[in-house]
Amino acid sequence: MTYKVIGKRVKRVEDPRLLTGGALFVGDVNLPNMLHAAFVRSDYAHARIKSVDVSAAKEIPGVVGVYTAEDMGDAWEPGPPLVSPPPTLEGVTFNSCRQVPLVKDKVKHAGEIIAVVVAESRYIAEDAVEEVYVDYEPLPVVTDLEKCLEPGHTLVHDELDTNLAAHLIQNKGDYEAAKKQADLVIKRKFNLDRGAAAAMENRGIVVDWDQKNQHLMVWDATQSPIPIRNGMAARLGLRTHQVRVVAPFVGGGFGPKIMMFYAEEMVLPWLTMKLNRPVKWIEDRKENFYATTQERQQVQEVEMALSKEGRILGIKQKIIHDTGAFDPYGLTTPLNTQSHSMGGYDVQNYNSECFVVFTNKIIVTPVRGAGRPQGIYVVERMLDIACRELKLDSREVRRLNFIKPDQFPYDHEIIDQAFTNLVFDSGNYQPAYDKALEKIEYDKFIKEEQPRMRAEGKYVGIGVVPFVETTGVGPYEGARVAVESSGKISAATGVGTQGQSHMTSFAQIIAEQLGVEVEDVSLVSGDTAEIHWGTGTFASRGAVVAGNAVLAAASDVRLKVLKLASKILETPEEELELEGGMVRVADLPDRSISLGELAILANPFRGAVEPGTEPGLESTKYFGPAYGATAFGVHGMILEVDPETMMIKIHKYITVEDCGTMLNPLVVEGQIHGGVSMGIGNSYYEKLHYDENGQLLNASLADYLIPSSAEMPPIEVYHQNTPAPNNKLGTKGVGEAGAIPVPAAFAQALENALQDYGLEITETPLSPNRLYELLYKQEE
Amino acid sequence: MKVEGEHLFNGTQQQVWDLFRDTEVMASALPGTKKMELVGENTYEAVMNVRVGPVSGEFSGQLVISNEDHPISYTMTVEGRGKPGFMKGVGDVILTDQGENQTMMGYTGEVQIGGRLAAVGQRLIDTVAKSIINQAFETLDSALVERFNAETEGREAAYEQSSEGDYAASVAKDLIKNVLKRKDGDES
Amino acid sequence: MDNTFELSVTVNGTSYHEVVDPRTLLSDFLRNDLGLTGTHVGCEHGVCGACTVLLNGAPVRSCLIFAPQVHNQEVMTVEGLGTVDDMHPLQEAFREAHALQCGFCTPGFLTTLLPWLEENPNPTEEEIREAISGNLCRCTGYQHIIDAVKLAAEKMN
Repeated sequence: MTYKVIGKRVKRVEDPRLLTGGALFVGDVNLPNMLHAAFVRSDYAHARIKSVDVSAAKEIPGVVGVYTAEDMGDAWEPGPPLVSPPPTLEGVTFNSCRQVPLVKDKVKHAGEIIAVVVAESRYIAEDAVEEVYVDYEPLPVVTDLEKCLEPGHTLVHDELDTNLAAHLIQNKGDYEAAKKQADLVIKRKFNLDRGAAAAMENRGIVVDWDQKNQHLMVWDATQSPIPIRNGMAARLGLRTHQVRVVAPFVGGGFGPKIMMFYAEEMVLPWLTMKLNRPVKWIEDRKENFYATTQERQQVQEVEMALSKEGRILGIKQKIIHDTGAFDPYGLTTPLNTQSHSMGGYDVQNYNSECFVVFTNKIIVTPVRGAGRPQGIYVVERMLDIACRELKLDSREVRRLNFIKPDQFPYDHEIIDQAFTNLVFDSGNYQPAYDKALEKIEYDKFIKEEQPRMRAEGKYVGIGVVPFVETTGVGPYEGARVAVESSGKISAATGVGTQGQSHMTSFAQIIAEQLGVEVEDVSLVSGDTAEIHWGTGTFASRGAVVAGNAVLAAASDVRLKVLKLASKILETPEEELELEGGMVRVADLPDRSISLGELAILANPFRGAVEPGTEPGLESTKYFGPAYGATAFGVHGMILEVDPETMMIKIHKYITVEDCGTMLNPLVVEGQIHGGVSMGIGNSYYEKLHYDENGQLLNASLADYLIPSSAEMPPIEVYHQNTPAPNNKLGTKGVGEAGAIPVPAAFAQALENALQDYGLEITETPLSPNRLYELLYKQEE
Repeated sequence: MKVEGEHLFNGTQQQVWDLFRDTEVMASALPGTKKMELVGENTYEAVMNVRVGPVSGEFSGQLVISNEDHPISYTMTVEGRGKPGFMKGVGDVILTDQGENQTMMGYTGEVQIGGRLAAVGQRLIDTVAKSIINQAFETLDSALVERFNAETEGREAAYEQSSEGDYAASVAKDLIKNVLKRKDGDES
Repeated sequence: MDNTFELSVTVNGTSYHEVVDPRTLLSDFLRNDLGLTGTHVGCEHGVCGACTVLLNGAPVRSCLIFAPQVHNQEVMTVEGLGTVDDMHPLQEAFREAHALQCGFCTPGFLTTLLPWLEENPNPTEEEIREAISGNLCRCTGYQHIIDAVKLAAEKMN
């Protein structure tokens, strides 16, 4: 096949509508007779509800109703668990506590919903929210990850006798034996704190129950429309064909929009069926800080045993992972942390004990990186510390420990988030690392630049950190591709899109198979009416899993096209070419037929369809990988820090990324840039300040600092291609790669810049205030 | 958040003590107070209008006096709830006789806030709290003078409560002063 | 007190006369009353810039303005910049440089940049970074947006 579209920097098909204000986001849905919902949310992080008085709120003109848990009656039930505990691990403790639509007796995090107001406008609804009086009995608040497991501590869930949500131990080899052989054993404690995804678009949902048609239409800013459709139908006692969920253009997901059965997603469908009118709720930014999930908080104690050459003999780790008030997402995030706590290194002995605890804070579910950044952070920090103590060059130590190319596939003998053995499918770490060192001019910096600038009184430092990323996990995705009578191609896949350019990159796959222009492929994503089976967009799996399903469906259509064309043109298939929307006989360009004509012929008005075949030129295929594809890369940065103002400036930022085959390099670069900006935020600017009462003190973008263009450096992206061996595209995911190693690289660079101060960083995020405290304390 | 400071009153220790235990005076001293009632021994119920930057609304709550060591010190516990959120605080008040008809009042306390107040009012809370306290002291100073005058003239004391407009203006002034001070590098 | 306001305003060259609740935000007025949903609301407290529109040619945060404040004035939103078949060079440049991913923040960038580029036809990277520092984007890391602005500057001159 000579027509190549995969790997090209194709302009996006979806852009014109987005650029001209013509793209539909959930907030843009306006239906006749529509009502608006607003929520009464708890100010307290932990409190019993003594009474709720909605009488004043109901009196406000324009208010249609004010409802509490009691009003829901039998329709009230907690959300379904999304992920069950891993069946293959022995000795796993798992206490499942799921979020509720409206609070009945006890509030378990600030922001939980106590009542919902429905009114003719959002303005009136918010007025009424102010008039609902809730009588609370405040209770002591659980916020400390370490103290909450002490006996006698306040409990988040009364029905349990503990704040332990889960406990598991993963073991490989024999750490204690390895430790005995070690020349150096180092031990550190790490404090990793929460971050918010803070997508530019907040959440939202519009529901419309059509009583006559007995049909529920839902627009939801979700990353997983098909499971939402299935769950909603089940909860409401409807058949799946009675519910249609559309995830329209979504303004950024980054993880929290895959959390399913948020309270609002449980309350609104109930409301529309009760009131027989469409109901709309769009989250505002402050609500987003209280009501949309967050992630990243862990306390870790890590021990590493090394030889004097710097070879890692073993790692021992204790993780306390905060899951917030409920744990619908199971063990996904901590399992990811464990999967990445050995980095890309050949570690033979690993013992990791993880405690997942409940606290009185908003639920924790994956945010870009989903536990991987924490794993990479601790292993890289420990290696940096080991290098200092052993007086070794950190580059040599990485070299020594990388998994070698001939060791792949490398089975880590522990379980990953997909409940399968953690297997790294392929990799070639050394060249990527060397390239990074070359591009950031590491030697020159250390030998010339740094000393020169230091002499000028400037504190500059360099950090280079390799990382791996598990991507492309199952269970599966599907795609349908069809040739229309116009000759254009229509396609559908179940993964929603929140900016990942699916409509273009998947179109490229199809265009290449069928010899058409990318613009002639119209791909619908995120509409449950278009495809029935699928999971969602998360865990850097879209390109791998959905992409390969698209490839399978498109190549099947290609076979059907060739078979039918061969019959019509009376020419063997091998002599046919697909180009420009036509099927031609090679060397006889006048003998041809258009795809559109073929499509019409494949759907006969008369005659019979051949037994064992299907009408049309259409195919639906699924792809479900046994295990994921392991991407990897290296980030490097040079930063300058002012030890008086604590302000930083990043002078240079480079990334080497290996995601196997790239579908569209523009898209890959964009994903990396975005991930890095989130990583930089996670390193120095974004901190969620919770006080001891579980109150979030910076619930606005004025105080939760997302990097702007002024904080971001230019980012250079270099590619390497180690194709994934287990999928036909040879591709690996790259959606989260940008964010994963940044805090580790940042810490390394900052320590390097402030060597004179003997700074050791074992926490993230930092901030100017915190850096000041660390330096000041050091001096004392 | 920690709250502490001191204020010099022109009055004897006993006079200042009495001032603080006078419900009418207290009601007039705190800006935005709509109601303050003694409902039990040492327990007051109050309704106050609170404004911190963009967040405003009515708070209702309780104020309890305890650990009284007349006329030297006592502890005040406050708990309030309203649309803008909730707050609770505990503080110790100590009166020290300075001689020459002057008394130094010192206070230290801890205040915790929650809800909308905490979420978006955070950056203003410090300044606004101090502003409220300063305003209160100014009113109390005048109240003390008024009491003295009333006694001398043999009439009922009449306490003036500053209007919400005055209060808002005063807070704005303090905020600006604060910003200017910080720009000059002074500690605020 | 009368709870309505009779508003006259020109948006993207078209005159509108609507009766509104006086506390309606300009962003809600544009989106809900006029159906111009290209202007997006990201924070409602004036920080993210997604709601930026042009008021008499100057960029403003429509989430911080009440509809009555634009009485008898001229507003331009992203819909006034170009159409799918006839995009403004600035929009073309965004597309070519892959300066948008989810697209939610994009209208705010476009309206902010339009008057700025007219006054700064030959900007440096530093100047561009500063000009857009009041618009937040979570997807792109700003890199391709800056590329787009440089490209747009070329196209527009």
